[in-house]
Amino acid sequence: MSRRRSPPPPPTIPEEMPPPRSRYNRPRRPFSVWGLVIGLIVGISGGLTYAWTISPIVEYSTEPWQLRPEDRAHYMVAIALAFAGDSDLDRAVQRLLTLQGQNVSADIFQQVADSACRLASTGYVDSNSGLTAIRRMMTFYQLQGRTGCADTLLPVGEAESTPRVVIDAPTPTLPPPATKTPTPVSEVEFTPTPARIIVPTSVPQRAFVLANVSTFCDASISGVIEVFVQNFGGVGVPGMPVRVRWDEGESTFYTGLKPERGPAYADFQMEEGKGYIIDMPGRSDPSSQQLVAATCNTETGQQAIVSYRAVFLPSS
Amino acid sequence: MRFLISLLIGLALGVGIGLYLGWIQFPVEYINSPMADLSERFRDEYTVMIATGYTADGDLMGAVERLRRLGVENIPAYVQEITERYITTSRNVNDIRFLVTLADGLDRLTPIMEPYRQISVPGQSS
Repeated sequence: MSRRRSPPPPPTIPEEMPPPRSRYNRPRRPFSVWGLVIGLIVGISGGLTYAWTISPIVEYSTEPWQLRPEDRAHYMVAIALAFAGDSDLDRAVQRLLTLQGQNVSADIFQQVADSACRLASTGYVDSNSGLTAIRRMMTFYQLQGRTGCADTLLPVGEAESTPRVVIDAPTPTLPPPATKTPTPVSEVEFTPTPARIIVPTSVPQRAFVLANVSTFCDASISGVIEVFVQNFGGVGVPGMPVRVRWDEGESTFYTGLKPERGPAYADFQMEEGKGYIIDMPGRSDPSSQQLVAATCNTETGQQAIVSYRAVFLPSS
Repeated sequence: MRFLISLLIGLALGVGIGLYLGWIQFPVEYINSPMADLSERFRDEYTVMIATGYTADGDLMGAVERLRRLGVENIPAYVQEITERYITTSRNVNDIRFLVTLADGLDRLTPIMEPYRQISVPGQSS
């Protein structure tokens, strides 16, 4: 026979009962937490959307580092021009630092060299002002031991080799007064020396090699093969034939026909999608790889055709 | 009703916080701005640099072309204004001299600029 255990008696006194945890007997808050949280989330999202997208603050305090790339380059031009005028390197560095923004670790002088390279690859150097500005930039970064492709595109020596026309105004000389004693006739007969003909020596015809081929992407000079032919001293050689061949044909062009780019320069416009082999007929081997006119995107997001910069140097 | 009131209060607070964050604490930072949007301080700095360059090379057309990037319509008047402002606010004397040289080149020399006028001809200083 099993004994059933009797259940404990229910409490009889109401004060002994623990208060039940029920939402109905909690004190009522004056606000709804969920309503407040949802309101805050929606409100903050809406406020940020309005402040950042619909009505952002109109900025009146743009600093140089916020400029678009081409204007940053022109700001660097101004810095280099100013340095040429006042030779104040500290001030030039301070000005360059304003172009850095948060990216203070980058090499500011090399950035000047890179900007000069980009500008030298464009029509910016077609004017004397532009050419002078690039040379100021070159002087500036070369003094800091940096190099850039502008050194190749615009060799420093060219600036000094610009011919200067010097006009000598003839100074009037009065004829000497006649003397009363006649000049004795010399008994020595002079024999005229034969006229010497000076034949200019031509540039020695040496074999060239395609020393360097680099690429760049620029919407303003899209799909161009820029060729530079230089001699041992790095001086441009004008009148050198350069040949470009592709599937359907070939074209030969000559250096020095664009004097504003220097005597070493020649260029060729490619067609999109085609491949080209470049050489100097009879003077160099053809390029081992095709220069393909593929599409590319510039720094500003524009689509262009990739351009090439080829440098021919004498083979040693 | 209590939920609705709380929602409205939360919305009001949220919008306020959002606007504060978006306009003051973390405002939109513009990049790829044109030169014309430069702040006045850097417009002045740029103009002084161009004037310094002009003093060195005497290339007036180049200086004008470079200043045109600031979006200024009347460049001679702009150079005159900034030069006179530099003089009246006692800015760097060398900067004033460079600006006066440029203003002189643009035929905008005024009596207040005369004491700062340089004798040397632009382009012969370097």
